[in-house]
Amino acid sequence: MFVARSIAADHKDLIHDVSYDFHGRRMATCSSDQSVKVWDKSENGEWHCTASWKTHSGSVWRVTWAHPEFGQVLASCSFDRTAAVWEEIVGESNDKQRGLSHWIKRTTLVDSRTSVTDVKFAPKHMGLMLTTCSADGVVRIYEAPDVMNLSQWSLQHEISCKLSCSCISWNPSSSRAHPPMFAVGSDDSNVTYGGKVQIYEYNENTRKYGKAETLMTVTDAVHDIAFAPNLGRSFHVLAIATKDVRIFKLVPMRKESTSTGPTKFEVQIVAQFDNHNSQVWRVSWNITSTLLASSGDDGCVRLWKANYMDNWKCTGILKGDGSPLTGSSGQPSAMSTVLGSSVQSSQNALNGMSAGSSAWSF
Amino acid sequence: MSGSKPDILWSPHHPDRYVICDSELGLYRIGPVGSAEAKAGTLPLSEETAATLLAINSDTPYMKCVAWYPKHEPECLLAVGQANGRVVLTSLGQSHNSACKELVGKEFVPKHARQCNTLAWNPVDSNLLAAGLDKHRADFSVLIWDISSKLSPETSVAAEKIRLSSVDLDSSTVVTKPLYELGQNDACLSLCWLLRDPKLLLAGMHRNLAIFDLRNTSQKTFVNTKAIQGVTVDPHFHDRVASFFEGQVAIWDLRKFEKPVLTLTEQPKPLTKVAWCPTRTGLLATLTRDSNIIRLYDMQHTPTPIGDETEPTIIERSVQPCESQIGSFAWHPSSQNRMVVVSATNRVMTDFTVFERISLAWSSTTSLMWACGRHLYECVEDSAEGVESMIEKDIATKMRERAQSRYGHDTVQVWRNHLLAGGKDAQLKSLWHDLFYILSVSHMKQCAEDMELKLQGNVQSVVYSGIKNIVKTTSGTTESRRCWIGSDRQTDVLRYHSEERCLALRLCGWISRGTDTDVENFLRSLEQEHEWERAAAVALFNLDIRRAIQILNKGAMAEKGDLNLNVVAMALSGYTDEKSSLWREMCSSLRLQLKNPYLCIMFAFLTSEPGAYDGVLYESSVAVRDRVAFACMFLNDAQLPRYIDRLTLEMKEAGNLEGILLTGLTKDGVDLMESYVDRTGDVQTASFCMLKGSPGEVLKDPRVQCWIENYRNLLDAWRFWHKRAEFDIHRGKLDPSSKPLAQVFVSCNFCGKSISYSCSTIPHQGRGFSQYGVSGSPTKSKVTSCPGCRKPLPRCALCLMNMGTPVSNCQGTGKSDEKVDLTRENKLAQFNNWFTWCHNCRHGGHAGHMLSWFRDHTECPVSACTCKCMQLDTTGNLVPSDSS
Repeated sequence: MFVARSIAADHKDLIHDVSYDFHGRRMATCSSDQSVKVWDKSENGEWHCTASWKTHSGSVWRVTWAHPEFGQVLASCSFDRTAAVWEEIVGESNDKQRGLSHWIKRTTLVDSRTSVTDVKFAPKHMGLMLTTCSADGVVRIYEAPDVMNLSQWSLQHEISCKLSCSCISWNPSSSRAHPPMFAVGSDDSNVTYGGKVQIYEYNENTRKYGKAETLMTVTDAVHDIAFAPNLGRSFHVLAIATKDVRIFKLVPMRKESTSTGPTKFEVQIVAQFDNHNSQVWRVSWNITSTLLASSGDDGCVRLWKANYMDNWKCTGILKGDGSPLTGSSGQPSAMSTVLGSSVQSSQNALNGMSAGSSAWSF
Repeated sequence: MSGSKPDILWSPHHPDRYVICDSELGLYRIGPVGSAEAKAGTLPLSEETAATLLAINSDTPYMKCVAWYPKHEPECLLAVGQANGRVVLTSLGQSHNSACKELVGKEFVPKHARQCNTLAWNPVDSNLLAAGLDKHRADFSVLIWDISSKLSPETSVAAEKIRLSSVDLDSSTVVTKPLYELGQNDACLSLCWLLRDPKLLLAGMHRNLAIFDLRNTSQKTFVNTKAIQGVTVDPHFHDRVASFFEGQVAIWDLRKFEKPVLTLTEQPKPLTKVAWCPTRTGLLATLTRDSNIIRLYDMQHTPTPIGDETEPTIIERSVQPCESQIGSFAWHPSSQNRMVVVSATNRVMTDFTVFERISLAWSSTTSLMWACGRHLYECVEDSAEGVESMIEKDIATKMRERAQSRYGHDTVQVWRNHLLAGGKDAQLKSLWHDLFYILSVSHMKQCAEDMELKLQGNVQSVVYSGIKNIVKTTSGTTESRRCWIGSDRQTDVLRYHSEERCLALRLCGWISRGTDTDVENFLRSLEQEHEWERAAAVALFNLDIRRAIQILNKGAMAEKGDLNLNVVAMALSGYTDEKSSLWREMCSSLRLQLKNPYLCIMFAFLTSEPGAYDGVLYESSVAVRDRVAFACMFLNDAQLPRYIDRLTLEMKEAGNLEGILLTGLTKDGVDLMESYVDRTGDVQTASFCMLKGSPGEVLKDPRVQCWIENYRNLLDAWRFWHKRAEFDIHRGKLDPSSKPLAQVFVSCNFCGKSISYSCSTIPHQGRGFSQYGVSGSPTKSKVTSCPGCRKPLPRCALCLMNMGTPVSNCQGTGKSDEKVDLTRENKLAQFNNWFTWCHNCRHGGHAGHMLSWFRDHTECPVSACTCKCMQLDTTGNLVPSDSS
């Protein structure tokens, strides 16, 4: 059972991304108002904004946390063609007593010539590595060789994906059986350009990332992509936000020890839902990858869950403004989602969400 | 509004009112569906809203354009531009309002009649109404009227008055002298006042966009372009203007007016309306003719100042508010991203909201945060019970709860772990019982030194290798044909015996000790747990019909017992081995209707031919252990391994934990567990289960290591650090290779050797911190100096004693009035002696002293050191969420 409540975000423009830290006690948001805010959860569960600062000279698309073993480190990316790494400074001012913390910019990554659309840290077992992707179709992988010095980042790999990139996701598996792998999604809306999700894998021999797979069935613009936490499973699960929600399973084929090429995968589509009526914007997995949340053009957040037969079903719908969902939209009657009453009565109280469908494209 | 093509205007002041104008003006009020005011006449606009028609005005024919007076008073005053170029002020639903009485009906008449294309009220100086007209020879096409002007000055317009009188007008309400006349020898198709300066008027003329300045009407700034229709200023960036021509929209920056900063992708059909969203920056909605979609352009950036050549990102998006073709739309002036759409025909209206892109994220503790527009929403899992029982909890929640209840940590009564897991999961119950039997058998073997099994190699490996491997090696099987207990009748059932089968039965839990084949103990325990049907079946399979009947009777009598059990007992007592008896015939057909699988297999056993027990063996709702035990008793050496192999494969594919009985904790078992983890993600059970395995092979499997790492990572993410530490201790006991080395040792400042007292005799990882203090053992008297060079250890920054000097239990006098409970105090006393230091400023002292200092201070106790030692580590300030 889930209860939604509103938090006064105080951003002056659209919020583009929300990101939790490893422990779920801190949160970062970024916005078109060019700022990033950091939130800390108090013991009673309330969120308090402890830092807010201007990060870029354009809309900030995404913000993400590094694993806490590298310190309190954030990365952001922006329309201003840069990505930046931020570190929290403690102990040098009295801010902490006032419940504020101080963040300083450790580096600006200026290699992209176009808007940087996504930024993600690689899984921690790979060290402190940062990946960006940009509208000109280039994925860049940076590494901080000295984790004590976050101002030094070297560009390790530059991978051209040929298509404008909108999102990137690392395979979080730390198993040695799985070489480092990431997936890139493209928001190019031209269906004739073929598959919009590419999967790259690190090759130990060439020390380069090579394309392992292209999901040819995904031909529409992809807005978000998320590898599920692997949790020791023998296969990988990938959720894709395109004109619908799709869940793919990538089963690595048994590889002969002699072959040096990329892993071959058996790609299975596990689920495909068009309940958002049209474009799906975001997908996110819970920690055990047993629940998937998605948001779409119908202004709703939907929760998906698989039963033991691996059949995925919608188990909850929440309206984007937190208000209760009225009327039946052909949803399962035994909904696990009940919405709280503590929700603000914003102007959106009268949403005409029944009215119809809509479609985005770049 | 040529003919029937409608338009919509929202009231500038009433958020619930709008006007639709086609051939007449209709004023509507929008409200929630089903509200008290809702009457039969309301028109549904959406699932939640409906509109009520308040007033109709059909006084003004030949309407071409309408503009709503922007000020609050008089409200509901509209200017209507007509086909003959006249502008008429009119009102709706306000006929008796004195405030606009003198204005309503006022007409503004141009010199030459031609179509009025557009009207625009000045947003500040609201007396000024600009009208854009078609071209008429060299006449002016932009006329700015002053609505407050009294009657036309007699002298100047006398001539015209005469002319006008012929048009049959009440001259007292007619104004013919505009305040300003602009745009000579041109046509004006669209107009808007610039928001950055209300003296500036932007006009879409015949072939150019022109900015007129009312302070100097002789001059104008202009740029030649075809995009002259529908000029409109972005309410959020006053220098940004949109205009269109045919299917193309041009975005202009007034600071560099020479060319459009942007042209949006051309639509195949001509555009009819372009409007900036008033509630959201950079959102432009456009509508083309004969279309049912509205195209939105999301300009996600601040307009860049001159000089920046970058192409701004624009997210193009289209929405379909309704099925029918859209005549027009209007953004709501204050409701976020909301608009009302009217269809091209029949005046069908739709209330529609364009949703923002919602971004979302799960936290590690299963709360969901999402951002919609400028707002944040958090959705947490409600811990309230009740509703939850209906839906199965997510495995993440289950694992958290199980970690809290110390699931997996019961190493003595291993089977109890399934109770710690909630006791509801049949597979877990089976798994932990399997492990319990494996461990107890293995333990017993070790003690009893069972000779026979020892001959076959390592006792343990046999036990751990599961029934599948045990029955493979079966040899020396004897057959016996026994009597039904309590009767002399010979059964035609063959029962098989061997050492291995006996061991398998023990692993199944049917028999408990040695070669003793008595199941009485097992039956009693089943009776205790009220598993009547199962107990009866077990008794029957041991050829004791009387006992089975007795159990069923007991079950029927028991509290909440099922009286049907008596009926079953009666049926059972009628057993006959006559092949063609009615009893046999009826039982074999009717048994399928029995709901309880154990009752079902009892009759299957009694009615089947000897050696053909498929009805029992493949009854999938019977526990695997009972089926396997049955197979071990009644299948011959050829059938048994085949059956077990088949069942094992089935269990492995399904990832069914009951199959661990068959596979044991072998590679097969890991395969089975892998498919269980693939299916459920329950790395917790997998980790604990595999740790129970015999040391060695299984734990070295990379998959097992991966599950353990993943589980530890989950515990860390949940801040269950104590649980993780306990897990590591548990793991260290069972898998000594996992013990980490000592993390830190302190070296002497002078000689560089470790000050650990016994470092010369045992390696560093030998002992813990206690050696840095004196409290370790009573034999060590004092350790205030380095054992290597005998130089004194550093002093505690607070008590100024050399480290190693025991700390008296009394707290610093600074803060002594705290009541601390004694047991806790005693536990901490040892810790108080520990040597701690800040690795930033490298000052330190006794842990107890440091803690009490930092309770009241933020800076280091050493003079002139401003280090904020206690705040340096953010993770260090997090509290574990499982501390008890």
